[in-house]
Amino acid sequence: MSIPKTPSQHLLTTLKWIFLGTFLFVTFVPLIWLVISSFKTNFEFQTQPFSLPAQWQFQNYVNAVRTSQLHILFFNSVFVAVLATGLNILVSSMAAFVLSREQFKYRNIILNTMVAGVLVPIISLMVPYFRLIRILQLYDTLFALVVVYSAVNIPISVFLIHGFMTGIPKELEESASMDGCSFVQRFTKIIFPLSQMGLVTSGTFVFLYSWNEFIYALLMTSSISARTLQLGIRFFRSQFLTDFTSMYAAIVITIIPSILVYVFFHEKIIQGLTSGAVKG
Amino acid sequence: MKQLNKNWKGIGLFLLPAGVLYSLFFIIPLGFVFYVSLQSWNGISAMEFIGLTNYRNLFQNPTFILGIRNNFIWAMALAFIQVPLAALIAMILTRKPRGWRFLRTVYFLPNVISQVAIAMLWISIYNAEYGAINQFLTMIGLEDLTQNWLGQIETALPAVIIQQVLYIGYFMIILLAATMSIPESFYEAAQLDGANVFQQDWYITLPMIKSIMVVCMTLAISYGLRHFEATFLMTNGGPANSTMVMGLHLYRRTSSLDYGQANAVGTTLILVGGTIIVVIRRLFSRRDKAADAVQ
Amino acid sequence: MRLNKTVAILLGVLLLAPALLIAGGGQQAAPEQREIVLNWPTIWVGQDAKATVVEQLVNEFNQANAGQIRINMQPSPDYDGYRDLINTSIAAGQVPDLFVFNVDPTQFQYYDGDLLMDFTDDLKGPWGNRFVDGAIQASTRNGRVKSVPFESALTPIWYNTALFERAGISQFPTTNAGFWEAAEKLKAAGIVPMSHMTGGTNAWTSMLWYSHIVANIGGPDVWSKPLSDPVFVQAAEILLRMYQDGNTTRDAVGADAGVSGGHYQAQNTAMFINGPWYIGNIRTNSPEAYANTRLAAFPGPGNYQGGQIGFLLSNLAAANTNDPARRAAVIKFMQWMTEPANVARLSLDSGALFTIRFDIPPGTEVDPLQQMFLEINSSATFIAEHFQANFPADVVAEFGQALGSMALGRSTPQQFIAQIRAAAGQ
Repeated sequence: MSIPKTPSQHLLTTLKWIFLGTFLFVTFVPLIWLVISSFKTNFEFQTQPFSLPAQWQFQNYVNAVRTSQLHILFFNSVFVAVLATGLNILVSSMAAFVLSREQFKYRNIILNTMVAGVLVPIISLMVPYFRLIRILQLYDTLFALVVVYSAVNIPISVFLIHGFMTGIPKELEESASMDGCSFVQRFTKIIFPLSQMGLVTSGTFVFLYSWNEFIYALLMTSSISARTLQLGIRFFRSQFLTDFTSMYAAIVITIIPSILVYVFFHEKIIQGLTSGAVKG
Repeated sequence: MKQLNKNWKGIGLFLLPAGVLYSLFFIIPLGFVFYVSLQSWNGISAMEFIGLTNYRNLFQNPTFILGIRNNFIWAMALAFIQVPLAALIAMILTRKPRGWRFLRTVYFLPNVISQVAIAMLWISIYNAEYGAINQFLTMIGLEDLTQNWLGQIETALPAVIIQQVLYIGYFMIILLAATMSIPESFYEAAQLDGANVFQQDWYITLPMIKSIMVVCMTLAISYGLRHFEATFLMTNGGPANSTMVMGLHLYRRTSSLDYGQANAVGTTLILVGGTIIVVIRRLFSRRDKAADAVQ
Repeated sequence: MRLNKTVAILLGVLLLAPALLIAGGGQQAAPEQREIVLNWPTIWVGQDAKATVVEQLVNEFNQANAGQIRINMQPSPDYDGYRDLINTSIAAGQVPDLFVFNVDPTQFQYYDGDLLMDFTDDLKGPWGNRFVDGAIQASTRNGRVKSVPFESALTPIWYNTALFERAGISQFPTTNAGFWEAAEKLKAAGIVPMSHMTGGTNAWTSMLWYSHIVANIGGPDVWSKPLSDPVFVQAAEILLRMYQDGNTTRDAVGADAGVSGGHYQAQNTAMFINGPWYIGNIRTNSPEAYANTRLAAFPGPGNYQGGQIGFLLSNLAAANTNDPARRAAVIKFMQWMTEPANVARLSLDSGALFTIRFDIPPGTEVDPLQQMFLEINSSATFIAEHFQANFPADVVAEFGQALGSMALGRSTPQQFIAQIRAAAGQ
């Protein structure tokens, strides 16, 4: 593989690494800053945002766990995020399959209507959603959040998955259908597995959305048994003051699962897929 | 082809779950939003029908017009700066340079962290008294260039946009999913033909990920049009409304219990955005057909 | 054909459903229960200074009324979120059994219709005598009192004696000329005179400075004047001066409350304005600034010296009900929360001020800064409200935007007021 490099290739490589390095810096700084800030006093945080703490305040983490009851909220968040992601991906991939692989009347109208949902400013739907959840008798249950989060993400998921499914060559499907594959089998055996990249990507987005959403979690639930992590984080904000450093400690605790999900789950699946693609 | 086309039962069955949820959570609530936009309503007293008065008031409000302009700037910046940057990075990472897994994870991390924390970081970076940028400029002897970045009409909007554009992780992982799906054999053939890296990306990668690029740009435009959170957290529309956006206008009207006008903003946003997206999709699909015809 | 029928039915349902949303939601199931449960979405949770004692009070109340009344607290953190929660519930026809709201013209719209429980007659009795003068008056609209005045605020000028002394000033100035002289001396000593901010949702610190100036020129009833009154432009000129010539920090335009308070705590600025809720924060974060702090009135150029800015902060409200037992339960709880001994506990623990008169139990140690608040509260020549108490939320938001524009030299004090008037529709 070792082909000697020309000077212009060297320059190109250098440029590439400067480019990647810049973005590495820009994206890594928030994480480092967040972790360091979570060990400071509020005074240090407010007056010297870029210094190291004079004394590392482990107390902030004690505050974080004690004040916000993170342990209870954690399992609620996992429950909501996992179910919302599952429901959303199931429903969206079925719709996207039909919309990308079938020819029928109204297809484009349905697709465009669904995609237009991406534009909807979700905060303008507070009153109707509140009523809807009451009518559906889901108020103050975790299922209220599961339904809202999976429904709100249908436009983006359908759009993304549709984009990935459109790229699958028609020949594959046609030959399968010659082989006697039924409609449902074409979905489960061919299109669904082949669009897994898109499914994983939109699943990641739905998961993160569900993990980070705040305002509907507040509106749709009222008892601690149905609340999620984001409400715990807000326990550090009162009307006039915010205990930023304890809040950051809580944020650090809550993003660890998100990062783990992203790193292990996402990476594993993509690795498996790419190696499969090379072989195939 | 017959059995592919006429499977109405299957089509209906597969569309049903998404259709039900979409109707319940989008179509019906949007009907409500539109209905309220024609009313004078504070959420407490009875609604009063006032026709298009809310819309007229909106379009006579210079702050709202400024908001529309800023949303367009946002949409353009995200679609034509952020998405291409993300595509470039995706193409580089597809070639699996050293540490690409690590880079891919780190580039995405800001999207995992809460917006509140990111906004606080950038407020500190931009601060005029102790901010990182001004400290750096002073250190290298360029004290004259120090600014109150978020407190000046000229710099506030670019400052908020830049911090957002830099976080390419979201579009990167979409595009990366597309580029990684391209079979390696395509590139091997091109390499044998002596194509360099740029030629490979231009003639193989880009056309292969075109449909996903369009998806990303459409998403970027919609995010630009309904942008709200970073502005709310960093400048709250200031100074002197220079960073105003439609979403913030909607939020302010809602907090003032003016649901009529708030929903008029929501309706306007969807109509404007919908028009733009339909135009874009038409443009691309027409080009597609033209290209197909040539081939 | 069958498909067309299905489509038609679907369309029909879709068209009818919004009507359901618009009309529905109003029904409130009232199951017959012996124990009356009152749900209270409360913002006083987590790190709020009042959280501990409020929880204690509710627990004690529930114990004393076991089997009859139970207050069910629903922790609802985040101030903006709480307001959205209350507004949304009300708009959807589900008024929370008990809730707290901030006293301003926007929130007073809750008084429209008969969503809220009316306490007018109940407060005429001995219960009403517990409240400080004017509190019930300030909670009255169209002759009805539909919420119980609870927490109040006083926002005097805080100043740092150590920084004043370093600049060679031994006493807080009592004349307007003295005030600006002090500012010059502070600057000469390398100290920024005052904290200001145009950011956040209400430009909090600067909005309070402006309220002080306006009250000094226009007196206690200044807010009954229209914005066209010259007093408002005159006050804007003074506010503008505070933003010029290094009288405030360079980051003031665009700064939020964290920045403005941070500068005072870091002893970068010598003057600042905030309420008693800030005591606990500054005591833990910056003991030095805390020990050096004294309180004062603004010595403006007007005829009304020695006044303070004070206002109702939050009132307790309840959903209206036809059930006399339920109504009695609500009133019992409201009376418990406004019991002078209970208010004393709340106030002494949190530092907050209340609209209810109470005696400090002998032998109690009161925080020195809180003691200063109590003293300046009783020694003020008059107390006027702040800007925010008199304008709806969007006008308050416009105040910060107009101020930013004026501070950046884009508009004059006249234009500043014109911009606010336009937002207020005056």
